[in-house]
Parts: sequence; structure tokens; C-alpha cells
Amino acid sequence: MVSSPEPWPRTGMKWAQKAAMIRFDNVTKVYDRKSRPALDSVNLEVDRGDFVFLVGPSGSGKSTFIRLVLKEDRATRGAVYVAGRNVANIPNWRVPKLRRGIGVVFQDFRLLPNKTVFANVAFAMQVIGRKRAIIRETVPEVLRTVGLEGKDHRMPHELSGGEQQRVAIARAVVNKPGILLADEPTGNLDPTTSQGIMKVLDRINQNGTTVVMATHDDGIVDEMRKRVIELSEGVVVRDDVQGIYAGAGEAVL
Amino acid sequence: MRLAFILSEIGSGLRRNLSMLVSVILVTFVSLTFVGAAGLLQMQISQMKGFWYDKVQVAIFLCVDSSASPSCAAGPVTDQQRQNIRDLLASPSVDPYIAGEPIHESQQEALGHFKDQFANSPIVDSVTAGQLPESFRVNLENPEKYEVINEIFSSVPGVDVVIDQRELLEQVFSVMNVASLVAIGIAVVMIVCAVLLIATTIRLSAFSRRRETGIMRLVGASKTVIQLPFVLEGVIAAVIGAVLASGTLWAVSHFFIGEWLATEYPNTAFISSTQAVLLAPGLVLLGVVLAGVSSLLTLRRYLKV
Repeated sequence: MVSSPEPWPRTGMKWAQKAAMIRFDNVTKVYDRKSRPALDSVNLEVDRGDFVFLVGPSGSGKSTFIRLVLKEDRATRGAVYVAGRNVANIPNWRVPKLRRGIGVVFQDFRLLPNKTVFANVAFAMQVIGRKRAIIRETVPEVLRTVGLEGKDHRMPHELSGGEQQRVAIARAVVNKPGILLADEPTGNLDPTTSQGIMKVLDRINQNGTTVVMATHDDGIVDEMRKRVIELSEGVVVRDDVQGIYAGAGEAVL
Repeated sequence: MRLAFILSEIGSGLRRNLSMLVSVILVTFVSLTFVGAAGLLQMQISQMKGFWYDKVQVAIFLCVDSSASPSCAAGPVTDQQRQNIRDLLASPSVDPYIAGEPIHESQQEALGHFKDQFANSPIVDSVTAGQLPESFRVNLENPEKYEVINEIFSSVPGVDVVIDQRELLEQVFSVMNVASLVAIGIAVVMIVCAVLLIATTIRLSAFSRRRETGIMRLVGASKTVIQLPFVLEGVIAAVIGAVLASGTLWAVSHFFIGEWLATEYPNTAFISSTQAVLLAPGLVLLGVVLAGVSSLLTLRRYLKV
């Protein structure tokens, strides 16, 4: 368990209590004028403490959603609010602070191959200037939360895919972000391993972190029965409070 | 913590890129050595100017038998002509230009000086006092006003020729000036090489650590934390190069100029190795600025933050 009852970063921005964690206000993102927009007039809200699946085929705009939240890209039209702040109004030098409030996990783990498990997780704290004593205290705690007790000194190549993804999750949440974005975190994993990862994400969500997970994995979505937002060609086509992977029109029943 | 972290990042960057780093050090070393050499030459020029300009004089040579100039048509200078020249030197139109008293050098004195100067040469034995012109040696209030004196005296009967000794020195200085311009030219080319090499090195370094910097970005590391290790990498290499250049310049001024040239030419004022050391902070600063600016510009382009 993440021991801190307060999941927001101590150094981060003041997270609004009531406002939605993530709000897209008529957001359109055009990468290339000749092709259709990656996101087209998207309106959605993710509340604090939510667990949201973002589903849809490749190219439906899931990754664009994540990039806009991180301010890796700017919305062409409309406004993206994170923790009540319009990210367009965050000056460049404050963007790192925005990102400290958001953890990110990817399909390909993105661990540093020449660092141990402990060092990989500690890296996220070192680069934002955390004290060594705090790092030594926090990292083992977080590793316990993701189920990697006693593997501190393994190298990434000595771990299974599932274990590597747990390291990546530990790194994403070690600074106690308010939001965890997961871009196909189970994309490279077998179903059993994926379930273990989902348990970890669920536990992190239980601790108060808002989780947004983009996925193709219908089994997981159906099992979790969480909110499902379906994107298709850049448009929100479905938003179910306790949804399953396939929409009503897609004839699962 | 952050400092220790940045230092360890720099260390790993330096190790990973060692051969490129050595080349950056060498190129900065060579280019800054040329910059410094130009600086030393200029210092030497001003040193010699200060030393010689007090001593150089305008020499008014009087006619002897062998003189060929029109004002010597009447043969060797007469006592009357010599007195005229003396009066002219003391007259209100000339006196303000002259510092101190004009010195008269007789033929006998001229022979003495000549013998001193060419003591080791066999020519001394064949020269007699009658062959050497007598002269008035004049120190000018302002050495630039040589032309005025030349104008007044060169056509006076009994004066053979007016010579500005400064002109001889100017030739030496112009050679040295050309040499320092050449050094500056080479330095500029080498500095361009150094800047491009630093840019390439930083670019490679940023590429080989893109995984780390990507993660740093994601977890919200500040721009400074991400970029500083790269910039310092270039700056450290440049500082090492600058220190090597300063050391070389000191060695040249100490051993070559101080211990060899100065003993070979005891009458010339040479710069001391202490003056060469004064150049060192400038060279280090130049190295730091060049490396810092070129790596920052490179990072702006190749390292997204």
C-alpha cells in the first residue's frame, strides 16, 4: 500500500478539491491538415479518484489524449484542464510541475537497462531533487505496493515482463501523482500477468489516485467493470459508467 | 542530493563519450593556444613600444665627403653650417617639438658606437672616423611629429639626411602585427572547428542518453536538471583545453622567451611569463562561453524538454 494518505505531490500544484481531475472542453487536435483530426471536438470529464478505461482501435485518439494531458502537444482548438488548470496557460517552465502530478506507464516499460530495480524507481525521485533519506524510505515502500518486495537489486533483464511493468508502475507513482496515465500497460503481457498488473493499478486507484488506462484488452475491461470511454476516429462514441469493452452496437450479447 | 545526482550524470556522460571528449579538449586546446599566442604577440609589441619609444631619436646626419644628397653639394659640413643647424634646433619654431637638449655626436664618437655595436665583426678594422657622418640626436616631444623635423632640416645646407629610428622599429612591429593577425586567423578557424565539434559531441551524448532524458521529462525533472549535465560536459572539456593552452603559453614564455630569447638579446624588453599567466583567466572564460553557448544551442534543437 502507498502509505501516504495524501496522494497529491507535496511539491505539485494545488489540486482543486471539487473540480474534475481531467476535463476536455471541446478539444480538437489536428496533426496534419490534410488528414482528419486525431481528436475532434472531444468533451469529457474524469473526476478525482475515477478509474477510466479509454478504448478504441489504433488511431482512435487514445495516445493523443494522453499527450494532451501531459502537455506534450497543444490542443488545436478547445481547452484541456488538469486539476482545474487550463494547461494552455501553464508556462513552459512550469510544465515539469504539471508532470510531477501525473504518472505515466507505457506498453514497452521504458526502464533504464543499466540500473537496478531500486535505482530505476529512485531515479524518478532523484531527478526532482528528493533527499536521499526520503528516497531510501519511499522506494522500498512503493516496491512493496506493486508486489516487488526483495527484488530491489535485480536488473531489468532479470525480470519477467510483468515484473518489469510493475517496476515501471512503481516509478510512475513513487512521487505520489494525483493522476496515473497508462498507455496499453498490458499490451505486451499474457492474460494472467495482466490481471496481476490490473490488481496493482486498482490498488493505486483505491489509494485515491485517478487512473486513466488506454487499452485494447477486452477481457480486462469486461472484468473490471469500470467507467469506459470509447473513442473512434477522434470522437467519443460511448461513455458508460460501468461499461464493457464492446459497445451495444457491436453485438456481444 | 541534486548536485550529487547531476555530478554522477556528468561522470557517466564523460565516460560514455571519452574519445569525443578528448577530441574536444584537443581542439579547444589548439584554438585557445593560437588566441593566446596572438595575445602574447600584442603584449610583446606594446612592451617593446614602451621600452623603445623613450629611447628612439630622430638623427640628423651631417654631410661627409661621400654624401650624395643635393644639400651636400658643397662638400662636408662646415663649422658655419653646423652652427646654423644648432641655432635652428634652438629656434622657437623647432624647440617646442624637442624634448630635452639635442645631442651632438662627432665622427669620433660615431666610430666608438659603431665599434661597440659591431664588436664581433671584421668590418670594424676597416672603418675610419672620416667615413662616418657626425649627427645631431634629437628626442621628440611627440614621436608622431617626426615629419615636421624632417621637413625643416632635410633641405638645410650641410644636412645629409634625417632619419627617424622609430621607422625601423615600426617595421619590426608590423611584422609582429602580421604574425598576430595570422595567429588570430588560425584561431578563428580552430574555434569554429571547436564549436562544431562540441555541438556534435553534445548531440551524440544527448542521443545516447535519450532514454534517461525521456524518463526525466516524464517524471517532471526541470529543464536545468535535464540539460545541465550536457552543458557541463562541454564546459568541462573546454576548461581542460583552456588550462592546457594556458600551460603551453606559460611554458613558451618562460622557457623560450624568458630563458633563451632574453639571454640571446639582452637589450630587448621581453614579456615575462607572469604576463602570460594573466591571459589564462581570459582563455578559460572564452572556452567556457564558447562551449556553454554551443551546447545550449545544440540542446535547444536536439533535446526536447
